[in-house]
Amino acid sequence: MNIENVTISSNEEIAMNIWRMSMSAPKIAAAYIGPGQFINILPNDNWEHPIRRPMSIASVKGDRVEIIYKIFGNMTEKLSRKNVGNTMNILGPLGNVFTDWDKKEVEPILIGGGVGLAPILNVYESCRNPIMIIGARTASEHFMKHDPKNNIYLATDDGSMGIAGNVLKAMDEVNVNKNSIIYACGPEPMLHALQSHANDKNIRAQLSVESYMGCGVGLCQGCVINRKNGHVQKHSYHEKYSLVCLDGPVYESSEVTFG
Amino acid sequence: MANLSVNIGSTTFKNPIFVASGTFGYGTENPELVDISKLGAIVTKSITLNPREGNPPPRIVETSSGMINSIGLANIGVEKYISNMLPVYEEMDTPIIMNIAGSSMTEYMDIMKKVEAVSSSIVGYEINISCPNVKEGGMEFGVDCAMTEKLTGKLRKLTDRLLIMKLSPNVTDIAAIATSSENGGANAVSAINTVVGMSINHRSRFSDIYTTFGGLSGPAIKPVGLACVHKVYNAVNIPIIGIGGIVNSTDVIEYFLAGSCSVQVGTANFRNPGITEIILNELNNYLDEKGIDSISSLIGSVKTHD
Repeated sequence: MNIENVTISSNEEIAMNIWRMSMSAPKIAAAYIGPGQFINILPNDNWEHPIRRPMSIASVKGDRVEIIYKIFGNMTEKLSRKNVGNTMNILGPLGNVFTDWDKKEVEPILIGGGVGLAPILNVYESCRNPIMIIGARTASEHFMKHDPKNNIYLATDDGSMGIAGNVLKAMDEVNVNKNSIIYACGPEPMLHALQSHANDKNIRAQLSVESYMGCGVGLCQGCVINRKNGHVQKHSYHEKYSLVCLDGPVYESSEVTFG
Repeated sequence: MANLSVNIGSTTFKNPIFVASGTFGYGTENPELVDISKLGAIVTKSITLNPREGNPPPRIVETSSGMINSIGLANIGVEKYISNMLPVYEEMDTPIIMNIAGSSMTEYMDIMKKVEAVSSSIVGYEINISCPNVKEGGMEFGVDCAMTEKLTGKLRKLTDRLLIMKLSPNVTDIAAIATSSENGGANAVSAINTVVGMSINHRSRFSDIYTTFGGLSGPAIKPVGLACVHKVYNAVNIPIIGIGGIVNSTDVIEYFLAGSCSVQVGTANFRNPGITEIILNELNNYLDEKGIDSISSLIGSVKTHD
């Protein structure tokens, strides 16, 4: 892991309130190990906002690291006002990765919702013809085309594009078999529902969870999630809770409990 | 280069920049981001008699120029601290100060007895009598002069190492608690622990922290920390370790002027685990530029208008 002052090479709105930012981050790009990892961003170097913001990596190409973020607060709004050439201090890459999506026999079902697009698109770019489902509230929040022929399913809560309903509704449209593995990132209620769904269908699911983080490196012990199996990990010491920053952000759905 | 060394009790620290308990884990976590040999000392996270899982999430939230935490003293417990951590500290150049939290006089004493019974290189203890987030956090001691003096006295009898009482700002008269610590035989006091705070999400109408209240830290509390240190400085003759919102070298200087003989950096470690090294370099440059030979000469030298 590195702390690096990176230079922003692009920052643009790709759908309503959804932005894609690319930055030149050679050290972080060199240390990156795969989809699922995140970086911890410091949009401003003053101390009005002391804490970094964790953001999933959407892609790494050469020394370029890309994120996709949704404006939902003061900090992400500030991020959207960054210009090409501006610098930012970044800590990363952090966290673990999605696994087994590159295995021949595995048929990945990639599911992203809300702000949880980045790591899903990251897996998508590396996968051979996976199924991908992206959920949003309304059509203007989508930047891709609903294209079931190519296994891209878009869902909207208000039915203004693609499948009307949430990502679970879209799951009805796709074939699930014993080789399917769900890879998902999104708001907790979505992950919770997918966990139950995977359990019902008896398939594996890997969930990238969101968590408020104080540091991203295991010092503050703030970003805990409930463990299901009581397995003691090297870093977070405890049986009941797991530190998302060190043990996650990707968990097998059988490892954690929500709510 | 200015002399940065400071003395607390009979211990000399090579510089006054320590990392605060609960902000640097057990001191062994981040070798890639920080050269711990540069630190004046590491205060390890609070250790209790039995392991603690800590509080349910959400445990932290950012606030204006600060953050609120309610981790709930998640720790491995004293037995594992002795078996897993003490041997690691033997191999480290950095002085280790062990932070202890308890829910009763006996519990504090039992923890210290267990550590004193084994051979180790830790230089001292910081006694947490001020955790606002758990019932067992020692707050009943930290708000009561008689209890503070009694606890300090009992622990004093158990060790010849440094004994540092960590004070809470959530009291009516912090100087009185500091005096009780001094009377009980403490070598030093550290001030301040976090300030009780609350954060509310107006949209969801939920408290942002599971335990409703938490401990506010970061630059937001620096004025509270400075005031507490200066009040304590006017009341006691033992050294004061200043804590609260320190993020750069001028913050360190201000804490020295208020009466500190060393400082602990806390929340800033979360933003950059290597920040103490940056602060230390800045501090050296500052002292050289100002022609100050020894940082200790600044202790308590704030000019007041009265």
